[in-house]
Amino acid sequence: MALSEADLVAAGVGRDGPRRTKVIRPVAFSIRDLWAGLMGLSAYADLLVVLSAHRLKIRYKQSMLGIAWAVIQPVALMLIYTLVFSVFTRIKTPGVPYAVFAYAALLPWTFFSTSLTNATNGLVSHAQLVTKVYFPREILPISYIVAALVDLLIASIVMTGLMIYYHVSLTPQALWLIPVTLIMAAFTTACSLIFSAMQVRVRDIGMAMPLVLQLWMFGSPVVYSLRQVPERFRDYYLLNPMVGIIENFRSALLGNPIDSHSLVISTIMSVVLLPLSYLYFKRVEATVADVI
Amino acid sequence: MPSDLTFNNVSKRYIVRHEVDDDATKHPWIRKLNALRKRRDEFWALRDVSFTVERGETVGIIGHNGAGKSTILKLLANITAPTSGEIVINGRLSALIEVGSGFHPELTGRENIFLNGAILGMGRREIAEKLESIADFAGVKAFLDVPVKRFSSGMYVRLGFSIASHLDPDILLLDEVLAVGDAAFQEKCLQRIEGLRRAGTTIVFISHDLAAVERICDRVILMRRGEVAASGKPRDIISLYQQQIEPSRINTMKTAVEDDRAIIESLAFYTPSGLRPSVFHTGDPLVARIDYVAHHEVKDAVFEIFVRTGDLTEMCQLTTETSGSPINLPVGPGTLEFHCDELSLQPGMYHANVCVKERLASEAINWQYHAATLRVDPGRITRGQFYQSNRWKLLRQAQSATPAQNGAAEAERPPSARRPSLTPTT
Repeated sequence: MALSEADLVAAGVGRDGPRRTKVIRPVAFSIRDLWAGLMGLSAYADLLVVLSAHRLKIRYKQSMLGIAWAVIQPVALMLIYTLVFSVFTRIKTPGVPYAVFAYAALLPWTFFSTSLTNATNGLVSHAQLVTKVYFPREILPISYIVAALVDLLIASIVMTGLMIYYHVSLTPQALWLIPVTLIMAAFTTACSLIFSAMQVRVRDIGMAMPLVLQLWMFGSPVVYSLRQVPERFRDYYLLNPMVGIIENFRSALLGNPIDSHSLVISTIMSVVLLPLSYLYFKRVEATVADVI
Repeated sequence: MPSDLTFNNVSKRYIVRHEVDDDATKHPWIRKLNALRKRRDEFWALRDVSFTVERGETVGIIGHNGAGKSTILKLLANITAPTSGEIVINGRLSALIEVGSGFHPELTGRENIFLNGAILGMGRREIAEKLESIADFAGVKAFLDVPVKRFSSGMYVRLGFSIASHLDPDILLLDEVLAVGDAAFQEKCLQRIEGLRRAGTTIVFISHDLAAVERICDRVILMRRGEVAASGKPRDIISLYQQQIEPSRINTMKTAVEDDRAIIESLAFYTPSGLRPSVFHTGDPLVARIDYVAHHEVKDAVFEIFVRTGDLTEMCQLTTETSGSPINLPVGPGTLEFHCDELSLQPGMYHANVCVKERLASEAINWQYHAATLRVDPGRITRGQFYQSNRWKLLRQAQSATPAQNGAAEAERPPSARRPSLTPTT
């Protein structure tokens, strides 16, 4: 039955410690909110861990292939693109077979597109929760990104296999993978926060997402390399932050020199976009339960 | 004592966009265009609301639908932000709003406890420590590794409440959660809440269930159209609220079974002279009047009223099943009255469920839960579970007399003339 008196008294004693005082005010758009938001987020770190694990778990429960699904998508795309771009028509790839070339870019691209597709619906698909319980809402889209990061690691196993098969060896250049992945995660988070917040009011965002991602992929150096883009378009082309991310992810993996120009552009854009997107998200969050 | 909750001039505005019916058939762009021209209506759910809740206090918030109760709860739970004003919360607050909403059917009980606990703001270590106690309280210990989609709905609800009630909050928000589970579990929940209350937890209880509000609250705030109408002792505020209630049109949302042959429209308690007081007294005569509408003819109908306490103990039943002649309902409205000569209920808040069914049918035609609230104040003071109406007589202790022979000496007095202190034990 219920707790004994002694248990309850003990619980009461534990409560006499210092209490956190929370003040709820109408939303503003200030740096103070950014700080308050991050503090609130850190208090819910455990929820992010549990929810991300939950994403992986439910995806593979009741599916026969289970964890293999993390690999199937990039591998299938790699096979198709290899067939099209190295058998039907030839795209020159510097030094490595096309399959390796394509897969090295499909790894980060799959991460980006899966994250964005899932995260965009992150708030809307949890309307039940969002209108009932408070927790920092950004955890919903971010948990999809964390799950996609795990998928990225799993899909990398195939990359290792491909590299061994084609005798492509890892060089110290591979250390660049760490900062490039961080920049990619930052940019993905920024996009996810913006799109998931917009999706609450305008469901067209989710509808448009598959098309946008398709176009975005061909506007990024996934099936071709940055060098194949004509010089006169290059400046505009580099405005796409995914260019620096995808190109350098591949270069780092395959031991090619880093293209610092595009990487700097991606870094600046991600670093500027992330706090802005967070503030925007927090602003929408304040009344999300009223409109969702 | 410091205040745990403070509302400082809090207002909340909702923007309501009215959609015209035929809009749906038009092209979305035309609808967009219309939407631009449409005036956006404002709705102030709360207007300049200020109140405080002291540490350890249990405060009930009552009011009609739309009076602002749920908005207060949503603001406190931080689910939505105020339009103006400031809310100060001192301590860990958790809301028991709708339990189980965060469950995922494919995950096991254990996994869902971790997930739901984390959503409610518990750390993983804290959940691990309480896992056993949570499962125990919910009575699902043997099913921890079964996906919750295999749970019965009762287990589902119990597990949800159990997780939420293990939060050990400084401040607990309650919203109609007691309307779940079976009577035994509800009693368990109330005990748990009483326990938290004794341990010094500040509680804000938002409910339509006036009986439960009176049972657990120290103070009651009455909301009316987004403003605080009154605040004070539960008994006073509840009776103030009851006086405002329009002759009760039952909230049709609470109809449990859908069957349109006959619908109970209202249940109300009157005096034999037709007055509708907000309070009855133990020993008073009482008339329970049921207004119904039959849409189809019903043969051999049975009307029943169940009177329950705030903690859902069934106190008594009034039924036409076992007395009188069969009732046939022709199509159209009608009224049925139960007459009780003396009210046996002890002082307290009660609520009544009412139903109409066909004799021998397993399902009722129409059930109305919480159709009316009955408040009983001390009248005839007796000890024990209920007032047993009685008459008494003094038998002369004459040598030859036996009670049977002395029937003429019976001292029968009208009930109103009897004074409580003279009521002999029988």
